[in-house]
Amino acid sequence: MSSLIAFLIAFPLVIGAVLLLVTRASVRNPIVLASSAVIIVASIAAVATFGNGDGVFFGLPNGITPGYAILASEIAITALIVVIGLMNRRFLAPAMALIQLGIAVFLEATGRMPEVDAQRLFWFDRLSMVMVLIIGIIGTLICVNALGYMRDYHRASPMIRGRRNVFFSLLFVFLAGMFGLVVSNYLPMMLVFWEITTLCSFLLIGYTRTTETIGYAFKALNMNLLGGLGFGAAIAILADQHMTLDLAKLTSGPASGVMLGAVALLCFAGITKSAQMPFSSWLIGAMYAPSPTSALLHSSTMVKAGVFLLLRLSPAITGSTVGYLVAFVGLGTFLFVSLVAVTEQNTKKVLAYSTIGSLGLIVGCAGIGTPELAWVGVMIIIFHALAKALLFLVVGTIENRLYTKDMENFDTLLSRLPRVSVLALVGMAGMFIAPFGIVVAKWAAIRAFLNVPGGQGAVMILIMAFGSSLTLFYWGKLLIKVLSMKNVSEYELSIQRRVSRYEWLTESALAVGVIGFTALIGPISDRVVGPYALAAFHAAPQTLLNIEPAMLVVMLAAVLFLPLLALWASRRPYDTSDFYTSGRNADSAHVMGAALGGSRTVTLRNYYLEGVINGALMFRVGTVTCAGVLIAMVVTGMVVR
Amino acid sequence: MTPAIYGILFVLLAPVFGGLLVGFDRIVSARMQGRIGPPLLQPFYDFGKLLQKQARQVNPVVEPLLLGHVAFMAVTGFLLLSGTDLIFTAFVFALAALFLVLAAGSVNSPYSFAGAERELIVLLASEPFFILMMAGVCKVTGESSFAGVLASSKLVAVELPGVVLAFLMVATIKLRKSPFDISTSHHPHQELVSGLTTDMSGRLLAYVELAHWYESALLAAFVVLLFNWSIALGVVVFLVAYALEILVDNSTSRIKWQLVLRSTWVATLLFSGGNVLALFLLGR
Repeated sequence: MSSLIAFLIAFPLVIGAVLLLVTRASVRNPIVLASSAVIIVASIAAVATFGNGDGVFFGLPNGITPGYAILASEIAITALIVVIGLMNRRFLAPAMALIQLGIAVFLEATGRMPEVDAQRLFWFDRLSMVMVLIIGIIGTLICVNALGYMRDYHRASPMIRGRRNVFFSLLFVFLAGMFGLVVSNYLPMMLVFWEITTLCSFLLIGYTRTTETIGYAFKALNMNLLGGLGFGAAIAILADQHMTLDLAKLTSGPASGVMLGAVALLCFAGITKSAQMPFSSWLIGAMYAPSPTSALLHSSTMVKAGVFLLLRLSPAITGSTVGYLVAFVGLGTFLFVSLVAVTEQNTKKVLAYSTIGSLGLIVGCAGIGTPELAWVGVMIIIFHALAKALLFLVVGTIENRLYTKDMENFDTLLSRLPRVSVLALVGMAGMFIAPFGIVVAKWAAIRAFLNVPGGQGAVMILIMAFGSSLTLFYWGKLLIKVLSMKNVSEYELSIQRRVSRYEWLTESALAVGVIGFTALIGPISDRVVGPYALAAFHAAPQTLLNIEPAMLVVMLAAVLFLPLLALWASRRPYDTSDFYTSGRNADSAHVMGAALGGSRTVTLRNYYLEGVINGALMFRVGTVTCAGVLIAMVVTGMVVR
Repeated sequence: MTPAIYGILFVLLAPVFGGLLVGFDRIVSARMQGRIGPPLLQPFYDFGKLLQKQARQVNPVVEPLLLGHVAFMAVTGFLLLSGTDLIFTAFVFALAALFLVLAAGSVNSPYSFAGAERELIVLLASEPFFILMMAGVCKVTGESSFAGVLASSKLVAVELPGVVLAFLMVATIKLRKSPFDISTSHHPHQELVSGLTTDMSGRLLAYVELAHWYESALLAAFVVLLFNWSIALGVVVFLVAYALEILVDNSTSRIKWQLVLRSTWVATLLFSGGNVLALFLLGR
């Protein structure tokens, strides 16, 4: 298995290098398709050979030690950041990268780095297994989808210089970085992969190289480098105090003293990467990148690296003040971004806020750290990855067909793009109607919060109650738009036929995945997520493992209802009567007699709760609040302990 | 008897209960307005009449969505009575209500759409309460099922007075009664004509009515959870509260949606939230 893992890291890197040289689509497409297939097979094989153990540790094949390779990688990454930063006259990012490198060189030069255990470089357990499958399957599906999307994207925006070779190269390097990250056990090595994902997301966000996207790219870079500094500082503290740099040993039980301080810094890094407040703005800015980038950042990579680390650290912070404060950063983020999301009209941004909110729930779970909440956290990771990847890809497809991201322009989508609508409905059902996107996860989280002693428990339940209702509101608005119907012209119907087969293939596969995983929730819980929680917390998650058959049937029915309905309705001839307009229909159904004579076309607009909820203000309040809690968390870990 | 039988009994009997409740409502309202009012069974006659009438289909998704609305309302009741986790039931309840919003919203007409959006606001306003209420009931009794709460020796309402108070307000919203009936309007010549049911006719309207009966019965079941001495007591308390709702309905005028949302959230936060917070702080 160790060679398979090494292959999963090395192979996408090689493909990334090859793709950089390929500028012709006719050559690129087969390479991307074939290597995606190879990665999917290899990641499934890696999981299949894992067996039933709780976790295995291994080194590089043939006992090779990393030696100076880690430091060399850090120098290369730093050099790249410094060069790009200086070329764009941005100095903060190069400065942070240099400090980071300085720490590493100092530790190495002064002999503070402890001896590496070459047999414990990697750690593969059920959590890594889940992550490897998510990256290997969902990540590659997004790469394939991008083949179709990027073609249309560049057709629609001829002003943007096509550098698709760079784009696809970055996607594969990103996957390599993620594979490395989720199987790392040796912290300095994990940091290298951590910085690779930071760098890749920076370059992907800035792909179009407009002033706007360059600004957002540097925002993402700065925030994630800050998190990286936290990671580096944690390594420095641990090395200086002659403590372990072995992640599994670090998180085998509650941390205390200096170790808790280092863990708090690692939590800080996880929070920046998972775009929790006050660092949410980088992920919102990332929305301006092409949709496959968003899909990748939101579902299978980047932000998932943040929550992955936090779930890893969860056993070390459970029960401590640090843990509670981490939880409040997550839950606070969930509440505030949900408030912002109800006022947002850009569909991609709504999806982004929903991602940040779902991640907030995971962070909340990791902070409290009970076996039940670890179970919830992993479940949200799985279902969110599937549903969100699907939704971003579908929105990308819609965007390339209708040239809009505005939710208000999505009305009568079911009539205009029927098959795309069905896929969108599967995604939305997976995200919020049925199982783990939200409902069961929220339910299980509330159940677990009931056992949190003192006022914290009550506040958490309050946050859940209000936050859940807000998510219902913004998903409801989007559903209304997608489900509405009208008579369409032949031309409008022909638009859908121009969706590329890469997009159909990948989006359908993800839709099948959403439905399949809902049906298989029982076995996944029994065989993967439950045993993971047991191994991490030395206690089996109670109550949640027995999902009643009745609940399962309801969930499946709820997931399937709307997509099946849409599928059925879109195949029926639309021959129905006009709606009621107080007898003031003029001409056609959508033209109405106006109050002061004449006629006006009816436009229907969702409520955005203007005057009740101020989105921009909520974003600021959330940022300040969560920043306060975050600072308190780090200070508690470092000073108070 | 296995718990599933209670669930099936709910599915069968809840419409009878809900229909009688509407009949009772119409008589009491009529008396308040100095009229005699229709017979008690009038809602059932109306229901039968609606089923026979021709339904005007505005688009093909409305009818299935309304059927989904009825089905999920019934399923919520089934799950509740057959012992599924109370908090999970609260989420399914919200999902059931959402189907009505989607049905009205899909029509794409000005009146239905406005009604649908307002119903969504009603959901947004009321949903936090139901989650908090269920969490509170679970916290007080340590139970997670309907039967468990009924068998508990703890008396829920005594420990959740704030929740009981907030329930009165939220029930008004859920029953779509004035001053919170922003999404519907049972009288002609008003701003929304007939709100979210504007473009529903014939059997479509019958489905809406049936779902509403289920919804009323569910609210009664929720009251039983709060007054868990016995089922009879819970139902009596519900009926008294319902009579109060009718009085409020007939003596107030509709308020704006902004005020509905704000006032409900403030009430939920202060009364239910404060109540739940106190429970946790007192270590119950």
